Amino acid sequence: MNLLERTNEVRSQLKEDLSKVQNTFQSIEDFRLKYIGKKGLIPSLFRDFSALCATEKREIGKILNILKKDAEKAVQNIQDRFADSQSGEDEFDYTLPGVPFNRGHLHPVTQTMNRICDIFKEMGFGIEFGPEVETDFYNFQALNFPDNHPARDMQDTFFIEDDILLRTHTSPVQIRTMLKQKPPIRILAPGRVFRNEAINSRSYCVFHQVEGLYVDENVTFGELKVTIEVFAKKFFGKDVKLRFRPSYFPFTEPSAEVDISCIICGGKGCRLCKHTGWLEIMGCGMVHPNVLNTCGIDSEKYSGYAFGMGPDRITLLKYGINDIRLLFEGDIRFLRQF
Amino acid sequence: MIVNTKWLEQYTEIPYSPEELEEKLTYLGLESTIKKNPAEKINGVIISEITEIFPHPNADRLCICRVDTGINTMDVVCGAPNVKVGQKVPLVKIGTTLPNGMTLKPVKIRGVQSEGMLCAEDELGLSDDHGGIMVLDNEAPVGMELKDYLAGSGTSIDIDLTPNRPDCTSHIGVARDITLLTGKELKIPEIEFTESDESVRDYIDVEIINEIGCPRYAARVVRGVRVGPSPKWLVDFLGSVGVRSINNVVDAANFVLLETGHPLHTFDYRMINGNKIIVRSAKDGEEVETIDGVRRELIKDVLLICDAERPVAVAGIMGLANSEINEDTTDILIESAYFDPATIRKGSKYLGLQTDASYRFERGADPEGVIYALNRLSDLIVQLAGGAVCKGIVDCYPRIVKPREIIVRFKRVNSLLGVDIQQDWIVEKFEKLGCKILDRDSGSVRVEAPSWRPDLEREIDMIEEVVRIYGMHNVPNAKVMRIQPNYETTHDYELVEKLRELIANFGLYEMCSNSLVNQVFTEFGPQTLSPVKVKNPLSQDMSHLRTTLIPGLLQTAKRNLNHQNPDLPLFEIGFVQHYNPQKETHAEEFQKFAILLAGFFEEKYWGYERRKADVFILKGILERIANRFGISKIDFKLEKHKQFDQIISTEVDGRQLAYLGRISQKYLQNDWDIEIPVFVLEGDVSTLIHLSSQSRQYVELPVFPSIQRDISILVDTNIKVADVERLIVGKGGKYLQELRFYDLYKGKNIDKGQKSVTFNLVFRAEERTLKDAEVEDTMAAVHKTLLKELGAKLR
Ligand SMILES: [Zn+2]
Repeated sequence: MNLLERTNEVRSQLKEDLSKVQNTFQSIEDFRLKYIGKKGLIPSLFRDFSALCATEKREIGKILNILKKDAEKAVQNIQDRFADSQSGEDEFDYTLPGVPFNRGHLHPVTQTMNRICDIFKEMGFGIEFGPEVETDFYNFQALNFPDNHPARDMQDTFFIEDDILLRTHTSPVQIRTMLKQKPPIRILAPGRVFRNEAINSRSYCVFHQVEGLYVDENVTFGELKVTIEVFAKKFFGKDVKLRFRPSYFPFTEPSAEVDISCIICGGKGCRLCKHTGWLEIMGCGMVHPNVLNTCGIDSEKYSGYAFGMGPDRITLLKYGINDIRLLFEGDIRFLRQF
Repeated sequence: MIVNTKWLEQYTEIPYSPEELEEKLTYLGLESTIKKNPAEKINGVIISEITEIFPHPNADRLCICRVDTGINTMDVVCGAPNVKVGQKVPLVKIGTTLPNGMTLKPVKIRGVQSEGMLCAEDELGLSDDHGGIMVLDNEAPVGMELKDYLAGSGTSIDIDLTPNRPDCTSHIGVARDITLLTGKELKIPEIEFTESDESVRDYIDVEIINEIGCPRYAARVVRGVRVGPSPKWLVDFLGSVGVRSINNVVDAANFVLLETGHPLHTFDYRMINGNKIIVRSAKDGEEVETIDGVRRELIKDVLLICDAERPVAVAGIMGLANSEINEDTTDILIESAYFDPATIRKGSKYLGLQTDASYRFERGADPEGVIYALNRLSDLIVQLAGGAVCKGIVDCYPRIVKPREIIVRFKRVNSLLGVDIQQDWIVEKFEKLGCKILDRDSGSVRVEAPSWRPDLEREIDMIEEVVRIYGMHNVPNAKVMRIQPNYETTHDYELVEKLRELIANFGLYEMCSNSLVNQVFTEFGPQTLSPVKVKNPLSQDMSHLRTTLIPGLLQTAKRNLNHQNPDLPLFEIGFVQHYNPQKETHAEEFQKFAILLAGFFEEKYWGYERRKADVFILKGILERIANRFGISKIDFKLEKHKQFDQIISTEVDGRQLAYLGRISQKYLQNDWDIEIPVFVLEGDVSTLIHLSSQSRQYVELPVFPSIQRDISILVDTNIKVADVERLIVGKGGKYLQELRFYDLYKGKNIDKGQKSVTFNLVFRAEERTLKDAEVEDTMAAVHKTLLKELGAKLR
């Protein structure tokens, strides 16, 4: 038999023996020694291989190498299988903790904002942003807040200069959008806002707002109502009840506050809803004609609605957090909970 | 604004329970909350009558009151100075628990057994009055539970008024809104007094210098009044809305204010010099003393009421001490004016003083309500304090406040609201609101808005009235929601959200810190630009807008370290601002992403040793972010900065993307009192988005097998891995597909000053199977170069 034939012979023998190896240390060790031990079959093939001439080497070398690797792999496999089988049921402690993969979370307010944005995106709203430092024009004047009017007291303001300020709401994004786009306009404006109010468990000088705007021909209050209702049911659950009650914002008219039935007591009255059964979640209304006209949109031809809500407050309600400052303190024990 | 149901009933019939009224007013836009009656909590207190008073045998200051409870008589020891025979007083029986938690027990006071207690209002939790025992009306029925008796005085409702409704700062105004729902009549009290023969003109003359600030000023003089206590009905009405009784004249003025919403002022006529009232602007620096006893320096924005010689009131805000009504006042000058809302607001803001008067004037009083309010107060004063009203009114009205005419198109009402409301219904409600119907045709109605509703200026205001009376809950939801084609992408927004998710998925917690920081925080980091300063900060710790997110993260780290939580994987994405006068807002805004690591990066685990925070975690995160954003190559550069022990900047295509490093331990100790190492990264979101590329191309999977080789060498410790890699790539030939550094070792078995570095090389040809010999040749060349260039030794 020449070397090539012997090599093939060893290969078929290996295949046969492998199927017979028993799952005992001795049987496996016998198998290993027979093929790849120092005096085994394969090393002996290699010894003969070295005596060959160059042309023959080229021919057989590759086949021999593959055989060697296959044999090594086979031995490894049966050894592993043996090792596995040795840790019997007694030793296998299935109660050991699983790998604690590093997990991080988005801030609860981000999660709320994202959910709000997702719901309105489904309803065809785009997302727009504006600066946090704003001019009086975008933050107040264009939104129909007269100078020296008590309506300005509704929003205590941080000033940078006489007519530059930290935006008190994301409503200026409405104005910026309406000035650069033609109706139909359907946008959502999420972002950070500022109010010059003393910090306590219920108010913080920085918080977030998501504001929505839709301007088109023949937009009605009924359309505003259904849009808000769809949102509220998707966000808070489909059993939630809504109530719209008249309110006042300079940039919308008619204006309304929207309450939902209390998410804790369902309307029966509890501490969260101050025993009213209702929770205030947003303000809304039909865009004031003065606002449309200021933005160069003909208020006779077009109408629109706008709404605004505070994701921070909604987050507090949703998780039963009783102090808004927790949202801004970054306590890791707090952040890990969401 | 607090209203009382019994008081409201003076002006219209209310067919609702307080709870119904609370809800109906809320649905009308007057957000109402019933004020819980404190008397509801009182049990076991009954009305009794004092029938006899005996001196206490052992104490001069005490007496023994014999009281009749309707069933029996009891003797009660009492120390109040105001007890009199015949008074109706609340009697607390033994065993009763008062709202302050005290339970009355049988007790002997200085040797005399007391069978109960007479008490003051504060002990009953009704007010903070401790001036003597509470004395009830003479008609109070003996034997009745006090709480049942007090329930008869109406329910108080707190209305959170929106700034557009000055008319509802009054009981008449709220009653008028109630008639919108009930359709009942609104009854305005009639004026009954008769004037004396003396002409008011002999007593007072009015001159308005600032007509813009004061379009109308009317006055009357009442002579010969007797200032004294108010009758019980007045004290009770005022008390029901939280106003304390002072004297009959002041109480009457407060009553008319709360009844009509029109603020009035009463002067002691004796103190008015020269029979003259002058309305003018204050001079800058002019000083006055208001009736609250505070000296105030004025500016010309403040409007003053003066006599011939000196100021006597800050118009529409507060009177001055020099002309206040006293107990011995006999002649009264009554002011009823209409002041310009913006003027009053400016003055009130400047003085930092909001009063019942300024609250109403700055929202807009009723210019046509001036005379009624004046007459109503004159009438009440005569009724309560006697005296006679001089003939005539001085009514100076130089700038008529024009009535507003509004055309309302019925079709517009229905199309904007999405309803179908009958025209007649609309017109009827407008009339009920107090509008004059000027004319009407099939499509529209022209109305004159009532003078007490300055918020009604145009059609949309009337449409709002329609929907609030109709009830927003009655407006049907639209059947169709329209979605128009929208070709705008929200690409950037989505990338930011993707970044946020990505960073969180590395095991980091998102936080959200205050944008307003101490100025020292703006001096952090390699890029110090001038910050934006807040003119009116809440405190010095919040005087500037942040210029970097890192100090916010450090502050949070510090707070967590104080709570013994040193393992901190935190990040934030947010805007920072730099001052830039070229910009419209004088600020330039940048969205940043920032990470802070401290302590262990992984949780404790039985299966492996956990990794501590270090620079290379940050580097890895940045590289992975870049990869996900389609950025193929980042250049890292070692920098120096005094606040960092190690700092690396990163550039992509020559643009600064981020920096990362280990904060200087000395700086942490000195400025933050932090002892453990802290690692931070800050990058620019818009640069990342700008550099990002979404075009990923599929690379065909290799057909031919690859050959792998490891190489492990010893080099000097100062040699950089990147330099070794460069040499390997240089000699690796065209079949070197991948080069991966994967082991670094120093220490045992290795000479000092040396390190072992190990690389894995993958060779592959696209078109054929590589031969071992080819790879061996390449590896030999690599070895040779490393040996020559770096003096490396093979391991
Ligand atoms: Zn509740």
